[in-house]
Amino acid sequence: MTREIAVVAFAQTDHRRSTEESSEVEMLMPVLHAVLEQTGLRTADIGFTCSGSSDYLAGRAFSFTLALDGVGAWPPISESHVEMDGAWALYEAWTKLLTGDADTALVYSYGKCSPGSVRDVLTRQLDPYYVAPLWPDSIALAALQAQALMDAGHTDEPALAAVGARSRTDAEANPHAQLKGQVPQGDYVVRPLRTGDCPPVGDGAAAVILAAGERARELCERPAWIRGIDHRIEAHGLGVRDLTDSPSTRLAAERAGAFERPVDTAELHAPFSSQEVILRRALRLGDDVRVNPSGGALAANPVMAAGLVRIGEAAARIHRGASDRALAHATSGPCLQQNLVAVLEGDPR
Amino acid sequence: MPEVLKAPLVVEFPFTRSLGPVQSAFLTGLRERVVLGVKTADGRTLVPPVEYDPVTAEELRDLVEVANTGTVTTWAWNHEPRRGQPLHAPFAWVLVRLDGADTALLHALDAPGPDSVHTGMRVRIRWAGERTGAITDIACFEPYDAEPHRPGGHTGEFADPLTGIVAPARLDYTYSPGRAQSAYIDALSEQRTVGERCPSCRKVYVPPRGACPTCGVATAEQVEVGPRGTVTTFCIVNIKAKNLDIEVPYVYAHIALDGADLALHARIGGIPYDQVRMGLRVEPVWTEGTRYPDHYRPTGEPDADYDTYKELL
Repeated sequence: MTREIAVVAFAQTDHRRSTEESSEVEMLMPVLHAVLEQTGLRTADIGFTCSGSSDYLAGRAFSFTLALDGVGAWPPISESHVEMDGAWALYEAWTKLLTGDADTALVYSYGKCSPGSVRDVLTRQLDPYYVAPLWPDSIALAALQAQALMDAGHTDEPALAAVGARSRTDAEANPHAQLKGQVPQGDYVVRPLRTGDCPPVGDGAAAVILAAGERARELCERPAWIRGIDHRIEAHGLGVRDLTDSPSTRLAAERAGAFERPVDTAELHAPFSSQEVILRRALRLGDDVRVNPSGGALAANPVMAAGLVRIGEAAARIHRGASDRALAHATSGPCLQQNLVAVLEGDPR
Repeated sequence: MPEVLKAPLVVEFPFTRSLGPVQSAFLTGLRERVVLGVKTADGRTLVPPVEYDPVTAEELRDLVEVANTGTVTTWAWNHEPRRGQPLHAPFAWVLVRLDGADTALLHALDAPGPDSVHTGMRVRIRWAGERTGAITDIACFEPYDAEPHRPGGHTGEFADPLTGIVAPARLDYTYSPGRAQSAYIDALSEQRTVGERCPSCRKVYVPPRGACPTCGVATAEQVEVGPRGTVTTFCIVNIKAKNLDIEVPYVYAHIALDGADLALHARIGGIPYDQVRMGLRVEPVWTEGTRYPDHYRPTGEPDADYDTYKELL
């Protein structure tokens, strides 16, 4: 018998270019308090805690253990960490709840991009033999993908600019977004991608609480039930993949049940405008689907948290009755290498 | 709010990586100006070659030489090369499918400008002058209009194959320690040790990190502690650390400063190493121009009662 598991609370920081006045735990802690407060739970009530972050971003060894100070991990708690976006921490927590070992889970993630150069930091996740020694930065790799997409006739520069413009216009309604309103499309960063096609560099944190079955109904008026969640990865060799498609997203969506019924909302983790084009095609999203009402990663991209924020934003829309069935997507690695898809639903109204 | 403290932080490491047989052959080949691919069971040739089939996970060992000429499958113009990238002047990132290969290799293309680059253009490898067996033995690609290069049929057997590579990595950061630790460091510069009290459990943390790890709440109330304290536990260091000018053996100790609920650690001096004991009362010794005590030395007070520090071990 599968347990029903829902996102019952979501909180995030205001995402900003720099949070140099705060350590990671100082940045994260208010979000942990906010998400607990929404449910009335205390740390001691949480059955499982899981986080996602990367020490490379801020260059702080074992920063995730310091971040645990913000949870209050005494008496000892059941805890885990993934060196990935918090969306994958949520996946682990979801699995834990499925086993019946816990009824509630706290999932959080944070990213401080400001101390380093995230373009260079992300080169360190690449194949260390054939690719990393060339230091191809994250924008360069996304630009190769964007050019392939243009060559295939799936998009062009004006269409990409429109993705960025729509995202930042939508972000005006999002008090947490970093980049909003009229933003010039700007010059090429790495051609064909311009400033406007790229995410802002920033710091931020997010947290959600998951709960199972009746516990979810006690904690939240309208829980966002996770009807399905799956993640898939593609070959790491960029030249092995068809960069214009995302078969891993499509398969994850299939396994998560995304194609069984249409969704009304999709929160896509597309840090680059061109990647939204690919994801829309892979997920067969029609024009009637509201894509990234939060503004998406083009409006705020705290690395390691931006994927979890997508799940949180989709869930929050269900909580407040703005959506009945939403898709949330998170990505990891260069050029959409690994993708996670979750399908969330509210109880019928 | 006091000024935010900042300092440059360089994280640098030479990763030493061993190679599998296919990677070894490929990188050794580059040293010898030979490009090798690997054949999959369904007849595809993968360049750069991998140890296992990315689709079936089958072990791959069937090496085949491919041409050093090929076709651009996608490109991106990089007008501002970054540190470590293959060329210093503006260049195009390219994925190149070498003649005879079914997959593409990432590298740089030396071209005069973006208008001279397009998908489908023909290119060839420009070899580096000095080659060591690394992907950077390919200096870059260059435009090439003549006949495709005919590969020589190399089998991938080399007299002195590489067994490993050293991949240096360096990342530069601007470190800022955050509010609580900045306040701690600021106070240290006045030779004061200032911790923070948890509003919930009332414990005083030194050094403070901004949060009570037991209660998960912010600490804010600053509390000056010390300067004297008690050795709660210690160890004797017998191995000389690199770049550290301290004679061994010496004692490194946990010290509970008076008023603190967490022991910090420091070196003990001014007493023979074999006379240091739990309960020893100590005080900091500052040297000119430093932002933290050089070491702690005995105060001469009677030893502290075990009961006064047993919770602080």
